Amino acid sequence: MRVIIFTWEYPPRIVGQIAEYTSNLATQLVKNKVETYLVTYHPYLTGMTEEPNGVKTIRVANPVRTHIGVLTWVLTLNQEVERAAANIYYQAGRQIDVVDVYDWHFVPAAVTLKSALGIPFVYSVDSLEDHRSHGANVPFNMAIKSIEWLGFYEAAKITAKSEWMRDEILRIYEPPKEKIQVLLPSSSSWISDVLSVYEAASGGTKKQ
Amino acid sequence: MKRTLSVMFLSWEFPPRVIGGISPHVFYLSKSLAKNGVKVHVVTCDFPGAPARETIDGVEVYRVDSYKNPSPDFATWVYLMNLNMQKEAAAIAAKLEEKVDVFHAHDWLVATAGIGLKHVFRKPLLVTMHSTEIGRRDGIHTGTEKMIGETEAWLTYEAWKVICCSQYMVSHVKWAFGLPDDKLVMVPNGVNMQVYEDVRMHDLKSFRTAFALPEEKLVLFVGRLVYEKGAHVLINAIPKILEKVNAKFVIVGSGYMKEQLSTIVRSMGMEHKVMFTGFMDEESLLKLQCCADVSVVPSLFEPFGIVALEAMAAKSPVVVSDTGGLGEIVDHEFTGVKVYPNNTDSLAWGVTKVLLDEKYRNSLMKNAYKRIQEKYDWDKIAQQTERIYEAVLGEYSKSFWA
Repeated sequence: MRVIIFTWEYPPRIVGQIAEYTSNLATQLVKNKVETYLVTYHPYLTGMTEEPNGVKTIRVANPVRTHIGVLTWVLTLNQEVERAAANIYYQAGRQIDVVDVYDWHFVPAAVTLKSALGIPFVYSVDSLEDHRSHGANVPFNMAIKSIEWLGFYEAAKITAKSEWMRDEILRIYEPPKEKIQVLLPSSSSWISDVLSVYEAASGGTKKQ
Repeated sequence: MKRTLSVMFLSWEFPPRVIGGISPHVFYLSKSLAKNGVKVHVVTCDFPGAPARETIDGVEVYRVDSYKNPSPDFATWVYLMNLNMQKEAAAIAAKLEEKVDVFHAHDWLVATAGIGLKHVFRKPLLVTMHSTEIGRRDGIHTGTEKMIGETEAWLTYEAWKVICCSQYMVSHVKWAFGLPDDKLVMVPNGVNMQVYEDVRMHDLKSFRTAFALPEEKLVLFVGRLVYEKGAHVLINAIPKILEKVNAKFVIVGSGYMKEQLSTIVRSMGMEHKVMFTGFMDEESLLKLQCCADVSVVPSLFEPFGIVALEAMAAKSPVVVSDTGGLGEIVDHEFTGVKVYPNNTDSLAWGVTKVLLDEKYRNSLMKNAYKRIQEKYDWDKIAQQTERIYEAVLGEYSKSFWA
C-alpha cells in the first residue's frame, strides 16, 4: 500500500499535537510495510528527504510571502501541497492508494487530487473550527467551516481520536455515521485500525 | 488527420457575467478558436439566470459554484472561489474523452486553480495577463495589493507562456515580474465588427435624439468612472471645446468618481451639455457608439484600450491619450488622434480638430476601420493564439511530462 499524509505541522516544525501524532503514525506505517510519503509545510527546509525511519518527507514553502490572513496563506499553500502530491503520483507509476489529511488545512488539495486523479482521501480530525473559535460565525470562521464541511463531504472515511469528537462531527456536520471511525491512539489495535481505515477508503472509490 | 486541439479556459467572468474586459475577450476568443476547429472548454463563475452548462457556437461552457459562503474580503473570496473552480474543472477534465492539451488562465483571479490543474494533469499552463495589480493601483501600497502582486508573479512563473495584449503590457509585465523575453508573447485584443454592422441597420437618427440635439456634435466617453480612466480630464476640457464647437458630452459608465464628476459639471454650469447615463445595456451602447461624432479615451493607465477599438469598429473617429496600449492602437493623425495624457489643453485641441473638419474626420474613420479589419479581427487573433498552443505543445512533447 502507498499512502501520502498531509499535515501542516511536522517535526522540526511543531505547532500543536498533530506533528507528534503524524510522526509516530508515519513511523508505524513504514514498520507495517506501507510505502509512506508525508507532505508538510516548512518555510525553508524544502524538498524531499528520506528519514531514518523510512518515511519520505516533502516539505513545501508558500510561493506567496505576503498574506492578509490564515485563509489566503492556506489556500495558496495548498497548490504546493498538490504539486508535491502530484509529483509523487506520477513518479510512483500513477498509483496512490490513499491520502490521509490532517485537519482542514490541506483539504482543498486532497479534494482536487480526488477529482482529477481519483485518489480517495481520509479526513483525520484533530480539532474543529467550532471548538477553536467558540462558535464564532463571522465570515472568516464560516469560510474555514465550509472547508471542513467540504472535507467531510468528499472524504471516503473520517477518523476521530475520541468518541466525543466523533459525536461532535456528527452533531455539527451530519456526515453518514458509517463514514466515521474512532481511532484511539492509546488502543493496542490503533495501527491495525488505521490500516483497516486505509483499506476501506482505498476500496471505496473507483480508480481511473 | 490533424488531431483536435483541446483547451480549457479559466476565467472568473464570461457573459452574461460581465465585470470588465476579460469577459468579452474570453467570449470572442473562445468562439473564434472553436470556429477554427479547436475544442474549447470554458470554466467560469456562475451567474443568476445563466445555465450551469451550455454550448455556445461550439464552445463548451461550464458555470461552477463561485462560493456562496461568506468570505471575509474580496481577495479571500477569490482564493475560495478558486478552490471550487479547481475542484469542478478537475472533475470536468478527468471525464473528458479528449484530454485537455492546454490550460489557459486569464489573470490572477484564477491563478491557484490554473496552477493546480497544471500539476495534477501535468499539462502546460498559459496565462493571459490582462492587467497587473501594480498597474491598476499605480504602485503597491497595502498587504492585499502585495499579496495579489506576488500571486501574479507566481502565476507568470508557473506559466509556459505569458500572453499580453499590447507591446506596452509585454514590457510592463516583463518589468513587474522579471520575466525572460522568450516567455512573453503579444497577441492583441480583438473587436467584433459584425455587431456594429448589424446595429447600423437600425434607425440611429431617432435613437440619437435621446442624447443630443441635431445641431450638437456628440462626444462620447465609455468607461468606468474611476481615476485611471480619466473622465475628469475630458470634463475639465469641456469649456475649451465649447468655445469652438457646439457639442453634447455623453458619459457612459459608473464608478466611485461619479458624484465628484457631476459636482464639477454643476460648478461649471454645464449640466445642459453633459449627460451621465450610468451603466448602459449592450444594444443601446452599440447604437450610441455608432452615433458618436467623436469617441474620447482619456485614460491615464490603459493596458490595452478595447474601447478605442470598439469606437473604430463603430466608425466613430477616436481621440485617445498617448499611453499604454492606446498609443499602439492609434496611428496619430492617420487612424485617430493622440493627445498628451492628463492634459486638458491637448485633449481639447484633439476633440476640436476632429469635430471641426469633416473631411479629416472621415479619413480617420476609414483608415481606422481598415486597420482593425487587418489587425484586430478575432479570427486572425484566434489563429495566432492557436499557433502559440502548437508551439508550446511542441516543446512540451520533448519534456519528461509528455
